[in-house]
Amino acid sequence: MTTSTIGKETPQINALEKVLGKAQYSADFKMGGMLHAKVLRSPHAHARIVRIDTDAARALPGVHAVLTGEDTPTKMTGIHHKQHRILATGKVRFIGEEVVAVVAEDEETARDAIDLVRVEYEELPVVLNPDQALQKGMIEVHEGSGNLACQYNVVRGDVDAAFARAALVHEDTYETHSQYPGYLEPMATLAWRTSDGRVNVLTSTQSAFLARMRLADALELPVSKVRVIQATVGGAFGGKTAEECNSLICAWLATRAERPVRFVNSRLEDFLGARSSPPERIWLKMGVDKDGIIIAKEVNIIAECGAYEGLAGHVLQVSTVRSDNMHRYLKDVRLHSKLVYTNAPPRGALRGFGGPQASFALNSHITVMAEKLGLDPLEMMKRNAIKSGETSVHGFQIGSSGLSECLEQVSEGIRWSEKKQRPKDQGVKRRGIGFGTGIHVSGNREMGNWDGSTVIAKMGTDGRVVLLTGESEMGQGAYTMLAQCVANELSIPLSHVTVLPTDTDMSPYGHGSIASRVTILAGNAAIKAAREVRSKLFAIASEKLGVPEDELDLNNGEVFVKSAAPNRKIPFSDLARLHIYREGGEGLHVTSTYDPPTFQALATPEQYGNVAPGYSFAAQATEVAVDTETGQVELLETWVSDDCGKALNPLAVHGQSCGAAVMAIGWTLYEHLQYDDCRLLNGNFADYTMPTADSVPWIRSGIVESNEPNGPYGAKGASETAMVPGAASIANAVYDAIGVRIKTLPITPEKILAALRDKQDASHA
Amino acid sequence: MREFDYLEPNSIAEASEMLAAHSDNCRMMAGGTALMLALRQRMVSPTHVISLRNIRELRGITYDDRLGLRIGALTRHSELAGSTLTQKYFPMLADMASRLANPQVRNQGTIGGNLCYADPATDPPSCLMALGAQVVLSSTKGSRMLPVEDFVLDYFVTALAPDELVSEIRVPPSSFNSGYHARFLRTAAEHRPLVNLAAAMKKSGDFCEDVRLVAGASTAKPTRLLGAEDYLKGKSVTARVAAEAADIGVSEVEPISDIRGDGEFRRAMLRVVARRTIAGLFGLAEDLPKNVA
Repeated sequence: MTTSTIGKETPQINALEKVLGKAQYSADFKMGGMLHAKVLRSPHAHARIVRIDTDAARALPGVHAVLTGEDTPTKMTGIHHKQHRILATGKVRFIGEEVVAVVAEDEETARDAIDLVRVEYEELPVVLNPDQALQKGMIEVHEGSGNLACQYNVVRGDVDAAFARAALVHEDTYETHSQYPGYLEPMATLAWRTSDGRVNVLTSTQSAFLARMRLADALELPVSKVRVIQATVGGAFGGKTAEECNSLICAWLATRAERPVRFVNSRLEDFLGARSSPPERIWLKMGVDKDGIIIAKEVNIIAECGAYEGLAGHVLQVSTVRSDNMHRYLKDVRLHSKLVYTNAPPRGALRGFGGPQASFALNSHITVMAEKLGLDPLEMMKRNAIKSGETSVHGFQIGSSGLSECLEQVSEGIRWSEKKQRPKDQGVKRRGIGFGTGIHVSGNREMGNWDGSTVIAKMGTDGRVVLLTGESEMGQGAYTMLAQCVANELSIPLSHVTVLPTDTDMSPYGHGSIASRVTILAGNAAIKAAREVRSKLFAIASEKLGVPEDELDLNNGEVFVKSAAPNRKIPFSDLARLHIYREGGEGLHVTSTYDPPTFQALATPEQYGNVAPGYSFAAQATEVAVDTETGQVELLETWVSDDCGKALNPLAVHGQSCGAAVMAIGWTLYEHLQYDDCRLLNGNFADYTMPTADSVPWIRSGIVESNEPNGPYGAKGASETAMVPGAASIANAVYDAIGVRIKTLPITPEKILAALRDKQDASHA
Repeated sequence: MREFDYLEPNSIAEASEMLAAHSDNCRMMAGGTALMLALRQRMVSPTHVISLRNIRELRGITYDDRLGLRIGALTRHSELAGSTLTQKYFPMLADMASRLANPQVRNQGTIGGNLCYADPATDPPSCLMALGAQVVLSSTKGSRMLPVEDFVLDYFVTALAPDELVSEIRVPPSSFNSGYHARFLRTAAEHRPLVNLAAAMKKSGDFCEDVRLVAGASTAKPTRLLGAEDYLKGKSVTARVAAEAADIGVSEVEPISDIRGDGEFRRAMLRVVARRTIAGLFGLAEDLPKNVA
């Protein structure tokens, strides 16, 4: 009997490859005749390019090409707004923008050539921040934009009447900062053009097909002339979706150099070129009844996208509306948000995709209001938690919600009912506990009214299966999950399923690994494909054994007759051979697609409707000790629970939850992109301090299985949601410990000491 | 990094000759933790890199009752921390070395390399200075010995002559019977101290007979807190005395301001660290640094 791995702790099928150092990342690949690229980046936040002198660089031995923006295709590129060419032309809009590219025999020569390029700039006034950007008469980052990239206005119900009914109304402003994706592998690409004019691009990506679409568009080529091959991805976290420019520049250079070109970002370059998350200032006004039920909500967000809009507009949409959907009684909302251009580096997609920003504000706010009402904040969060079968204020049909259960798990874990009774610490170090909650989509119908996923399953004549998918394995466990589903359906060992990295020439089309969509969408597609393979096996077996298909079952790589004596069985290998070697036969392969019953709300002004086939929830409880003399926050314990519907692989879910919690901790306490007039000051890992093993507590991750009706075996996404509640849980714990509320991230020792001083001054006044 | 010639001398004399021959653009390499980063980022582009790895005289730790501890310049931090001699005679030094930076740096970086780099954001210089350590500089011309305070001159500047290398560090026998090197990280995710304070103490009960206090990391070069030392000497140390000593001490430093921390924040933290360290050495504070005798 082959044991299914569904629901069992399963090491990732590609883990050995990675830990043995055998996995090949983009920067590992070499080709005959390969050249190396480097770019010169803008030293100015906002400047007109007056003149570029490349003569000296061109004259350097070993240099093959020195190219500027004027050499690039004239087609503009971008996500929603097409805003820039492959290299800057006319003017530069941020420090780090790519201005000149060099292709040379080796990387050092390319770097030498870069040093020889002279660019004359005429500096322009710099748009430093969103407030300044929106002032009348301010210079525009993009002509005619008024520095406004996009805005959302969503009104439901009668929010003024709801506020009038409220027992308590509270308003405040919160600020969040930008976070660098911090993947282990900086962006790297190898590209080459073949003699038929096709451009081949091997790169680190979350979506080979979105990359192909973008590259074909920018290079003004038919999509079939571009082939994107996914190398092993060393982490992505949103940063390798469709905004980074490493692959774009490299693909173009390959068309100019007529030799393979490899372009590897150093970490310093990656800091300058990567899209970090958008900083947001969130004004929040909420009305609750006497029992803490949230009945009215008004939100006003100013978010900064920096020099180019990219995906930041989509991120802002999430910050604007998504957190409302956690609250079952909320019917009346007024939401307004603006995305503003500045000359900061462009912002974009990052794990949680706008959710962490909103959650920080919302859960801080709930905790303040609970205290004002004399309620336990945990109780207030639970009372408002949406339930399975309910439809939220924005039309999300919540097939499954384990939000209350998540809150129960983390509060029991941290022993809230016991610890909340203890007297407040009065010494130098004071402990406190805080909670946060979060919601995330599993899939999001936002592109061309299709949010499907296709899996091709091919059974070889040995009865083993190869899967092709357009979704990306970026370390999160997608391939293991797909293999688990197929192995389970066909009752074969996990090792009999191989999942191939996406190659746009061979794999089925897919949007890729974004919006926590892969488990629920590709998982369903994989199950469907496996069942179709099973039907084909049964059809042949039925013919061969002379029994009706409904008398057949399969196990351990064999089809057998359920009712008959032993030995009435045929191995898959024989059936797969029979599938080919007969008149009119063919290899045993199927193509299956799952497109969920969802609505493309993002394309409508109302932003109303069920955008995802499932919604994941998470809660976190954190206990801190704050040193009142140094302002340092020590994390004593943290518990994070993820309602992922069903943990197909608890080991992977645990890894994702812990990773997400660490990323949230980093964002809240340790990581801080520091700018001086839009110039990044700490673009390196010595000065941009990501969490280390020493700086995080033992993270206890819990799983809630709410059994999503649309999910494969009940599963939903489990990679992003746990990123959402962390910041608020820490901010609330700090407040519980020392009575000061930090409303601007990151929570630094300096801010805590200043707030303590203010509090002391106020009490003496 | 740019190409360079990689040289591996087998003796101090040979290294010194190479240093003299390529003095216009060469770098010595010990553990290489700082140099590799600088090379890769092209912050330095030497024509010659002179590796010291083959010079046996630069290795080893010995102790002599008269001369004290001799630490070969190529001693890795982890070796210094793990040495039974360091642990026995200068536990404060061993303890500092066991906590500095991160495991990767401790296992690769060397004490000599650390001193020659003279990055202020590090722990060994202030700790060694509090213990009265001397740096031995060697060349073909012979050797000279400088106290740490005369070796580390400024932000990334040392007294090393172009043909010299640091061959060893000597820590003289001491009458201190207590001490602690406190390293203050702004957040738990930092690897480099924002502030540190090395306190070497001779105490008898609650009585401070002698003390050396050196503030590091917060200043361009380690700074002796002489006023605070004078104040403490000959006093019975109470919590109030510790606080007063810390107040005096912070008035004696000129803290640096950079993106890692504002000068006044550094001063405020030095005050806390100094008070806690002194109080901790006299058992006056709970939940504070352990007393490493």
